[in-house]
Amino acid sequence: MSHDTQVLGSTAGKHKEERAVRQVPFRGGGFVHRPMGPIGAVVFLAIIALWEAGSRTGVISPIALPAPSEALGALWDLVVTGMLWKHVGASLYRLVIGWTLGSLLGIAVGLMIGLFSLARAGLLPLVSALFPIPKIALLPLFIIWFGIGEGSKVATILFGTFFPTVIATYGGVDNVDRNLIRMGQSFGLSWLSIVRKIIVPGAMPAILSGFRISASIAIVLLVAAEMIGAEFGIGAYILMAGALFATDQLIAGVALLSVLGLSISWLIGRAERALLSWRA
Amino acid sequence: MLAISRRTFGAMVMVGSLGFMACEAGAADAINVGIIPSLTSHSPSIIAEAQGYFEDEGLDVEFVSFQAAQPMAVAIASGDVDFGLTAISGGLISLADKGAVKVIGGALMEDPEVEGQKILVSKAAYDEGVTTPADLAGRTFGITTAGSSFHYMAHKIADKEGFERSEISLKPLQKVPAIIASLKSGQIDAWAIVPNLANSLSAGEEVVEIGEVSDYIDSYQVTTVFTSTENAENNPDLVERFLAGLSKGIDDYNAALVDKTMSEEETAGIVEMIHQYIYADQPLDKADPRIRAGAMRISPNAALSLASVEDQLGWFKSEGLVPEGVTMDVLVNTDYVETH
Repeated sequence: MSHDTQVLGSTAGKHKEERAVRQVPFRGGGFVHRPMGPIGAVVFLAIIALWEAGSRTGVISPIALPAPSEALGALWDLVVTGMLWKHVGASLYRLVIGWTLGSLLGIAVGLMIGLFSLARAGLLPLVSALFPIPKIALLPLFIIWFGIGEGSKVATILFGTFFPTVIATYGGVDNVDRNLIRMGQSFGLSWLSIVRKIIVPGAMPAILSGFRISASIAIVLLVAAEMIGAEFGIGAYILMAGALFATDQLIAGVALLSVLGLSISWLIGRAERALLSWRA
Repeated sequence: MLAISRRTFGAMVMVGSLGFMACEAGAADAINVGIIPSLTSHSPSIIAEAQGYFEDEGLDVEFVSFQAAQPMAVAIASGDVDFGLTAISGGLISLADKGAVKVIGGALMEDPEVEGQKILVSKAAYDEGVTTPADLAGRTFGITTAGSSFHYMAHKIADKEGFERSEISLKPLQKVPAIIASLKSGQIDAWAIVPNLANSLSAGEEVVEIGEVSDYIDSYQVTTVFTSTENAENNPDLVERFLAGLSKGIDDYNAALVDKTMSEEETAGIVEMIHQYIYADQPLDKADPRIRAGAMRISPNAALSLASVEDQLGWFKSEGLVPEGVTMDVLVNTDYVETH
């Protein structure tokens, strides 16, 4: 923004001095996204309309894919029977507890790795070794360790969100502008003040984009977590639909997960606006 | 690097298609049969293939392995597999309702004279007083998924003992090994399973047997033979030949392992045939007792207990697991085997 006005201002100044100089068209701009209103919704609706038309005319076989209207019907059944809130409530409970604990622990460990050399030397190889382990592969062990109740489900989500948060946090700390830290030191700020006022806010953009990834991972792991002994939950509903080959319910459940993902992404967007207002 | 010129490739395609045509021209019809290599109840097709009964019928059988009944049913619906044996599950009925598969015969069955499926409880639950199936009210029961045969058995026990179905708390654990782990560690109270698994479990400290499934379900048709609707309606000759071959395999299986009327030498031969596919990851001397233990009768001539199938279908509807409109005609084609 300030760049534009500066350039315009300087050319305008020159104009007054030398009238003979030929007019140069403004060549800045472009490469900027403008809001396009309802285009996203239009694309979405067009795909669903095509899908519905394909199912109605029989181009898409009902075994391959159910019509969107049938999936909507399955969703409506959930609303009417009141099961929707039971499933969504059970899943939200697991997501919120697992993700919150995983993120808090992740931020704590990530800050330690970012701030202390000893923690970095000791914990970073451990994180790198444990992150790629598929949590689904550990499910049988989780049954023994945490039981078939809520414990193993929360633990699956917790482990899934912990590692990406650690990596996002220490990466964010590493990328904090060194000049700002040096400035704080030359102003005589204490170590704690520098961490609180410079490092944590500076690492916040990276932590929040880490949240976007870890929240999506948590939703992906929800289905795996609810494989074990879950009577209610969106993941359990999807697994049941798969076992019964009720494809309309399957699509309805997957759509619920998508809506959940969209809502969480919107919430994180709000959090970004609130927490990163210092950047503007 | 293996370099294939365009001309060589053309020649290969030619030879390949000629060879394929030659096969087509031969008498044998190539069919795929689905099996689950961890379940001995899939043995009859394997015996029929090894003994040449399918060959006698002009069938060239290829076995396709699956980990569970559900993907097998989907593969039959898609036409990748022609025949399979599995329990009547919600998935199977759904596919039948969509016009993709049909039950054409019976397979594994409960026979009062032969050891059948057992009801098991964990040691912890047994010590707390769950000593008969009547005590299962208010207890947890392991199932693989909603609409599985385990789900059906749990509810049939509740019905007969006269308590509400909802009083048994069902724990879906997706896979049999997960159920076994949960039962052994006492995280679920009860389960019901075929005798060869039940006996090896109750031989240990952690699990106790408290009853038999046959006391709760009359003439239970545990698994059925099924095929695609396309085969059942438009290819009756192929279905009849498959069932004829399979029936001879069933007779051998029953004679060798259930009624034990075969000589020891012949029985060992049958076990060796089965071992080609079932428990093939273990040496024969280790797999042998596991294949022989607790063999349940397979319905002779693939006869089908319609009463049992109807009872199961009724249960699925009463639980809202399948659409209300599914009728026996949609699920079963009775043209091929004797029904009772």
